[in-house]
Amino acid sequence: MKQLSIILIATFLNVGTIFSQERSLPNIDVKTLDGATFNIQNLENENNPIVISFWATWCKPCKKELNNIAEIYEDWQDETGVKVVAISIDDTRSMSKVAPYVNSSDWEYEIYLDSNSDLKRALGVSSVPHTFLINSEGKIVWQHKGYIDGDEDELYEQIQAISK
Amino acid sequence: MKKIIYSLFLLSIISSCEVIEGPYMTGNGGGVDTNSNQYVKNILIEDFTGHLCQNCPDAARELEAIHDLYGSQIIGLALHVGSTFARPYPLSQPKFTYDFRTKWGEELDGFFNISDAGLPKGMINRIDYPGDHRKNKGQWLASVQQELDKEVVFGLNINSSFDGNNSIIDISTDALKDISGDYKLVVCLTENEITNWQKDGVIEDENYIHNHVLRSLITSAWGDDVSLSTNISNGENYTHNYSVNLADLENFNIDYSNNTLFQGNGESGGWNQNNISILAYIYDNSNYEILQVEYASLATN
Amino acid sequence: MKNISLGFILFFLSINIFAQNNGEIHGDFDLNMQSYIEDATINAVAADEVIRNNSFLNIIFTKNNFSAGLRYESYLNALLDYDDDFKGNGIPYRFATYSIEGLEVTAGNFYEQFGSGLIFRSYEEKGLGIDNAMDGIRLKYKLLKGISLKTFIGKSRTYFTYANGIFRGIDGEIDLNETLKLQSKTRYIFGGSFISRYQQRNNPVFELPQNVGLYAGRLNIINGGWNYYGEYAYKINDPVNSIQEDAVNYASGNAFTSSLTFSKRGFGITGEIHRADNMLLLSDRDRIGKAYIMNYIPTLSKPHAYTLLALYPCATQAMGELGVQLDIFYKIKKGSLLGGKYGTKLNLNFSRINGLKGGTSILNDNVNFTPEILSFNEELYYSDINLEVNKKVNKRIRYNFVIANQTYNKDFLEGKTPGEYGVINSTIGVLDLSYKIKKGHTLRMEVQTLIAKQLETASKKEEGDWVMALAEYTISPNWFFTIQDMYNYGNDDESKRLHYININFGFLKGANRFSIGYGKKREGIFCVGGVCKLVPSSNGLNLNITSSF
Repeated sequence: MKQLSIILIATFLNVGTIFSQERSLPNIDVKTLDGATFNIQNLENENNPIVISFWATWCKPCKKELNNIAEIYEDWQDETGVKVVAISIDDTRSMSKVAPYVNSSDWEYEIYLDSNSDLKRALGVSSVPHTFLINSEGKIVWQHKGYIDGDEDELYEQIQAISK
Repeated sequence: MKKIIYSLFLLSIISSCEVIEGPYMTGNGGGVDTNSNQYVKNILIEDFTGHLCQNCPDAARELEAIHDLYGSQIIGLALHVGSTFARPYPLSQPKFTYDFRTKWGEELDGFFNISDAGLPKGMINRIDYPGDHRKNKGQWLASVQQELDKEVVFGLNINSSFDGNNSIIDISTDALKDISGDYKLVVCLTENEITNWQKDGVIEDENYIHNHVLRSLITSAWGDDVSLSTNISNGENYTHNYSVNLADLENFNIDYSNNTLFQGNGESGGWNQNNISILAYIYDNSNYEILQVEYASLATN
Repeated sequence: MKNISLGFILFFLSINIFAQNNGEIHGDFDLNMQSYIEDATINAVAADEVIRNNSFLNIIFTKNNFSAGLRYESYLNALLDYDDDFKGNGIPYRFATYSIEGLEVTAGNFYEQFGSGLIFRSYEEKGLGIDNAMDGIRLKYKLLKGISLKTFIGKSRTYFTYANGIFRGIDGEIDLNETLKLQSKTRYIFGGSFISRYQQRNNPVFELPQNVGLYAGRLNIINGGWNYYGEYAYKINDPVNSIQEDAVNYASGNAFTSSLTFSKRGFGITGEIHRADNMLLLSDRDRIGKAYIMNYIPTLSKPHAYTLLALYPCATQAMGELGVQLDIFYKIKKGSLLGGKYGTKLNLNFSRINGLKGGTSILNDNVNFTPEILSFNEELYYSDINLEVNKKVNKRIRYNFVIANQTYNKDFLEGKTPGEYGVINSTIGVLDLSYKIKKGHTLRMEVQTLIAKQLETASKKEEGDWVMALAEYTISPNWFFTIQDMYNYGNDDESKRLHYININFGFLKGANRFSIGYGKKREGIFCVGGVCKLVPSSNGLNLNITSSF
């Protein structure tokens, strides 16, 4: 127990110094809905902000978040040029439902498939939903776990802050 | 360069699959030396089981098959443990009303933490304690083979007589090499050929024959000291004597079932004296490994 | 242990120096603590330690094309729904990887999946307590544009040790359009994989293969809204180390999975079929348990998020099952009569899983049996038909409504004697309504009901009918509070008509999440992808902290 607390303290002391660090996207491949391989480092949006949101077809709060954003996505894009990239961690069990679900929901997002959770692990995501905000230099500057109705407002404030 | 790495990998991988054609049973192997003057290393397979455990008869059959292969060196002990698989149904039910559990079985199960992880599970001479002592029946053969290669450290001789009221058990232990440590002797009574209900796969068998079922421990679960000193020399001999009254032991089990065991109903009697045997083993107290085990019939008249 | 904490401190000092030089360090932390109090009414056992906990800390360094990391896990002692063998502390996961000119090399631990996982999948699922990470070397190489190869050699993790079998694998995938530079609108992707497991064998009666090989081939065709995926897998003799004639099985195993999807704006349809026969791959042939399973055949049923819909979950039968599933997604347009102001989303799902005719393939000196390939009239294991309606009524109210009918063969799926519980047919209804009180404040209520029917002839009575109600109040962006009650009102045994009440309270900020809960949990089966764990009933406090940096 004592050892665990020493480790925890050491970790959190260091978190302070490391926390302010920006994070780059890792060198990991994901798949598009067309079956093509895509390296996540190749994400680009003409220097506008990018939102990466991890979700799954079985995750209710994830779908709620992405559906809520879908309603105001056009406005967001008009104002800030932001692009939302939704990365599905559905594995072989539900991977085939991603395309039909996305299309029937009328989502305009870029969708990628991370079926063995490689990108999820590389970004330290332990549960979904988990959302990241990427600035014009391709660095992750903000992240958020979970989703509560209304969180999209906080996300939008962050987007606006970096899009100026 | 990369091409070479890949070709090497490919070669090693693609050559690695074996297709075996029938007939499959080769029938050789098994059986060990039968030099009757020397002591051989016997192996105790403790089969933790329960009459409601439908996968358990497969394990009991594996034990029998290993016994058939290697002969009298393999000694089996069936311990019916746990409330999930060994609890009896209420007396009003037509089946599974017998309570095979014992005080010592529950104690050993609790200490070695066997039934919590599901049954059937067994221990082979209690090797690989702690961490890997619970063995699935698929691991028994390999563990037995591993044990058969070990050297014999103790020799056990069991003799039994009847004095009119009680059965007398005399155990003689010979040390076969110089060793030091803390060794304990445990003496049990087991019963063969008990016919009673058992779940077996998808059926419920009314006429299942239960063998080498643990009935009672004469010593405590942790045994008596083999020797009073920790240094033992080659050739030393130790004797232990016990006097047992089967009726008393049977009543103890019945009371224990009624008063202490979870949902116990006292149905632990009906012992057939002619089928009772003595099972004695010596284990090393530092790691619980069983070094020798022996088996003999109990004199009851 | 002292050395470990000293090591950690030095470790972190060096991280800080490293961090200044263009390298990055990130990680995430998770702590899950539960207290177990005795509660005889629900058969909950107290834990001797009172509190049990699972926690882990992941750390990853990256610098340009190099990355390394580790995970420290602590089980002092593990929660009761985890296997007992998760004991103690350690660093069971550590790796280093670099990539250069299209070649990526990983040394240490890694996760890997070939194709859809039919012959090999090494993954982690913390909810189930599964983590069969490989430890060894893996190479990934992009041979040409559109052709990628991966190979690895390693042992698989079980708890804090490694299982006996040594795995070697190779997988290749070719994207025809990219490689041959076709301008076709249809994309063709072919893939093939091979796995071999070596485990030493010394059986005196049977000749057992020490190298067991598995092959798989897959095909993916995509054209606009159409997508077809098919994979076939084959396993060469893999008998168990037994000396009983009837226990050794030299039959080969096979499995296939096939799915066809069509989707366009507002509509999507998916049809899937899969079959598995003697297709269980274990990292140690002699052991039993989900910790040793090395391939992935997901159950062909919808993963349900609502409690009563997941009360009777289906476990995959890798040794023999045939399943089909159909999903239809449709959005009724905005402004139409049924659609309402914002449109209504519908999802109809049907799945059915049955056994193979005659059981699994068997080959030994006494029996030579192969079941028919497609036979849908065999013993039903599980079936589920459900309709989900999702609608936003106005700015304040939205709801989800689900109605389902499930058939669950409890005797077979839970390994009971036939006739003990029989088949349970349940009709389930769920209404999940959210009401936005004002900006950032939302009240969500759920009511679920389950009506179960069991065959008259079953010898034991199943729990019967359930009802569940839940209220959740959330304040964006930080707070949530939930209270729920599951009530088994329909139990034939009056003393078992219990309420399972739970309250949960939590705080989220950025990448940190704290939640604390208290209540009773029902004994049940929790499955992810067809792999299941038994969750014992419990009564106590639950604390969960997660954080990422």
